[in-house]
Amino acid sequence: MIETILFWVLAAAAVASALGVVALRNPVGSVMALLAAMLATAGLYALMGAVVPALFQVIVYIGAVLVLFLFVVMLLDLRAPAAPARPAARAAVAGAAGVGLTAAAAWGAWKSFSHASPAGGLRPAPGVAEIALDLFGRHLLVFELTSVLLLAAAVGAIFISRTKKRRPS
Amino acid sequence: MNLEHVVALGIVLFAIGASGFFIRSNTLVLLLCVELMLNAVNLILAGFSRYLHGTEGQVFVFMIMTVAAAEAAVGLAILVALYRLLGTLDMSRINILKG
Repeated sequence: MIETILFWVLAAAAVASALGVVALRNPVGSVMALLAAMLATAGLYALMGAVVPALFQVIVYIGAVLVLFLFVVMLLDLRAPAAPARPAARAAVAGAAGVGLTAAAAWGAWKSFSHASPAGGLRPAPGVAEIALDLFGRHLLVFELTSVLLLAAAVGAIFISRTKKRRPS
Repeated sequence: MNLEHVVALGIVLFAIGASGFFIRSNTLVLLLCVELMLNAVNLILAGFSRYLHGTEGQVFVFMIMTVAAAEAAVGLAILVALYRLLGTLDMSRINILKG
């Protein structure tokens, strides 16, 4: 019972702050709304028994990625635009496309659920030991490849943002 | 809280992120919308991990988090370079690839 209430509260918070990411004019407001959405998602992970992803969500996403976003916002001194740069008709078309996407995805999910219902019992969630054995056992190669990816991303970020020469615009 | 609820919430969050990607014109907010979509997928994966009692869902969540961090680093570097070059982050004003 308490789990259901918590789920609906966290889901409402996640949806509201996700709407805030899109709706807020100020980029700092958008980053803060995304922070709230990430926190709500971390709560949902913890509610589902996925404690390790919840911790990583708070440490990696909120502690590293979103702080990086905030740094860039402050570095670039972005101001909210005075007038919407895109005409309202295009925004309406984009909104309609979003609603259509939701409907299509919901329809697909409904169809797959209707003929293949998962075994929906509340068994205990996999623990840290099981996840670690799986991550460092069967998925060890992928794990090592992600370190290569992170190295490439760091080198690429440094290379892109260096200031030696400016290209003419 | 069933699997259906988690999947429905993930779909709604993904759709908000996807529509925001097309509605907004600030490049930084576009990156935030991409993060929101990745987050929605992560939520669905964690839900399946819970209800199918598998560890793969959570392992994939880690991988997606890593890719998202790499994407944010490179994306923000591109954004800083773009701002230095053009002085704006408005998508409707960035048209240097136009032939």
